[in-house]
Amino acid sequence: MSLRSSIAITAGKSSYWFLHKFRHGGTSFPGKLALALDPKVLRTLAKDYDIVVITGTNGKTLTTALTVKALKAKYTQILTNPSGSNMIQGITGAFLTAQKGANGKKLAVLETDEANVPIICQYVTPKAFVLTNIFRDQMDRYGEIYTTYDKIIAGIKMAPEATIIANGDAPIFNSKKLPNPTIYYGFNNQPDQEQMAPANTDGLLCPKCQHILHYKQRSYSNLGKYYCPNCSFARPELTYQMTQIVDQTPASSTFVINGQEVTLHIGGTYNIYNALAAFSVASFFGVEPQASAQMLSDKDEKVFGRQEVIRLGEKEVTLILVKNPVGLDQVLQMIKTDQEPFSLAVLLNANYADGIDTSWIWDGRFEDLPFARIPAVLAGGERYKDIAFRLRVAGVSEDRFAERPDLDDVLEYIKHMPTDHVYVLATYTAVLQLREKLANEGYIKGGMD
Amino acid sequence: MQYQLHLAHLYGDLLNTYGDIGNILVLKYYAQQMGVKLTDEVVSLDQPFDPKKYDIAFFGGGQDFEQVIVSKDIQSKKDDLITYIEDGGPMLAICGGYQLLGSYYIGAHGEKIKGIHALDHRTESQDNHRFIGDIVIKNEETGQEYHGFENHNGITYLGHGERPLGKVISGNGNNGSDRTEGAIYKNVYCSYFHGPILARNGELAKRILLTALKRKYLQADLSAQEALVIKPTY
Repeated sequence: MSLRSSIAITAGKSSYWFLHKFRHGGTSFPGKLALALDPKVLRTLAKDYDIVVITGTNGKTLTTALTVKALKAKYTQILTNPSGSNMIQGITGAFLTAQKGANGKKLAVLETDEANVPIICQYVTPKAFVLTNIFRDQMDRYGEIYTTYDKIIAGIKMAPEATIIANGDAPIFNSKKLPNPTIYYGFNNQPDQEQMAPANTDGLLCPKCQHILHYKQRSYSNLGKYYCPNCSFARPELTYQMTQIVDQTPASSTFVINGQEVTLHIGGTYNIYNALAAFSVASFFGVEPQASAQMLSDKDEKVFGRQEVIRLGEKEVTLILVKNPVGLDQVLQMIKTDQEPFSLAVLLNANYADGIDTSWIWDGRFEDLPFARIPAVLAGGERYKDIAFRLRVAGVSEDRFAERPDLDDVLEYIKHMPTDHVYVLATYTAVLQLREKLANEGYIKGGMD
Repeated sequence: MQYQLHLAHLYGDLLNTYGDIGNILVLKYYAQQMGVKLTDEVVSLDQPFDPKKYDIAFFGGGQDFEQVIVSKDIQSKKDDLITYIEDGGPMLAICGGYQLLGSYYIGAHGEKIKGIHALDHRTESQDNHRFIGDIVIKNEETGQEYHGFENHNGITYLGHGERPLGKVISGNGNNGSDRTEGAIYKNVYCSYFHGPILARNGELAKRILLTALKRKYLQADLSAQEALVIKPTY
């Protein structure tokens, strides 16, 4: 280890100790400090690790958590970064603060921001890349899906031996020829039937000949068993497949992957993809399928932070973060299947972290919600007028609809909604504000992980 | 319903980047309040555009890759689209759709991409800069203010026979220099507004619907439709 690295590591660790002890601090600042002293510090810190980089627009956090969970069936030492700390500072910080364990090769499973993949790969050579999906994100900050993929590829090209474990249902992951060994996972749970994706779907052009893709099976958005009617471009062969959904509620899904039944204690078809990715990574690292399935079926509260159940007086509130069109739409598709009575609140902010352009709320199919059996609907947040009009256009009737700009009023209103269960969909800063308020009032413990 | 209108969603499966679908949802929302059933269909690659079949056309914006593909295909629809426009067919074109109705725009790699020159504007590009943020304009004929969100690299200069959709009150507009935003030519309305534009500007939605109704139902008494009150939404 160079003197420079060693000073950087010591400084980073000391700042973590200080922040952790006195400020309840995170891992990004120590990482930033260490990187400032030695930009190559990550190379030194990560040298004893096999590294798995998990990236994509949606599902990074849960896929990372589930992958760690499944790998625990075989590995005792797994380093991972906390949700949200997915850029180089946060990742460096995670290595800095790792407990010193036994000697020998250790595993690091890293949730990585798409644009940070090439940055990380300058210093470490991953053993595997996991690609979940690429959808439109907040357009005022992120590029187009193709430029996002190019950034990821720039990183992958620095590690040509690494295995790519990719969502085979996403056409974009089959669009460029790479030297890396590649394993695909996907859904194969419906009978083949000729179909096309709905009009308002992104990424439907064949990357080889620019005709519009057709499908034999489709799960959501542009994911599915695609093929081009004009050339030979088609979904690649799947190594890991989900072949049957046995049971699905908004709170859990039971399904079969390569013959193993898994019960995942979080709802949403999109989360089945995350479990499938985790299963694939675990299998790649030699975890027995049965052991993976068992670990993924564990009811682990900590893993499912993005969809949180909070008790608010007599109400059970399911708080769900929504941040981009496909994610929002998937949440709506999940909620609509709930057979039990529920009320709904949607909180929209448009700060930088939420995306300052609110257009994306029009890509979520609020029209699909069963408004006739939702007795109360609330629009809130700093941009409550935008979401209120969205809900009106979707068909909510005025006699069961309210608008509350103020967060105190939102909470008060929710407490008096006519059902025991309330779904609250909120953008990032709205979630932060709401959690802070709930923490101050003692309904939850403080902070956001 | 008393009346029926049919909308062509030009390249709806390729150009759908900024919640543009909202414009169609909002048109349907106000159409219903006017006693109008509004139906829509996507007209995409290798499909003809029949100018007689549609009462309204909507043309949104997309990603660079998709727009380049559209710029090639749309040349085969050029004559029919120009016939529709010259015949007074109402159309709303946003961002990339707006640019493709003009003579050309500059692509992501600096290449000139041909439009159909149905309208006389042209679009150049800014070097590594975009106009991003809230924008307010005023329509000179009606005195109405339109509110929106702009996010574009292209800088557009209006040409012969075009007038702006509005004069910029705050924000950047077409090119950041001449205080114009969007374009109007016959019954074609163009803009860089996202939001989507009709969600924040119901008066414009009403104007497009009324234009389409008057064109299709020549003898009808549309006073009830004209009296529709648009409530503020922002």
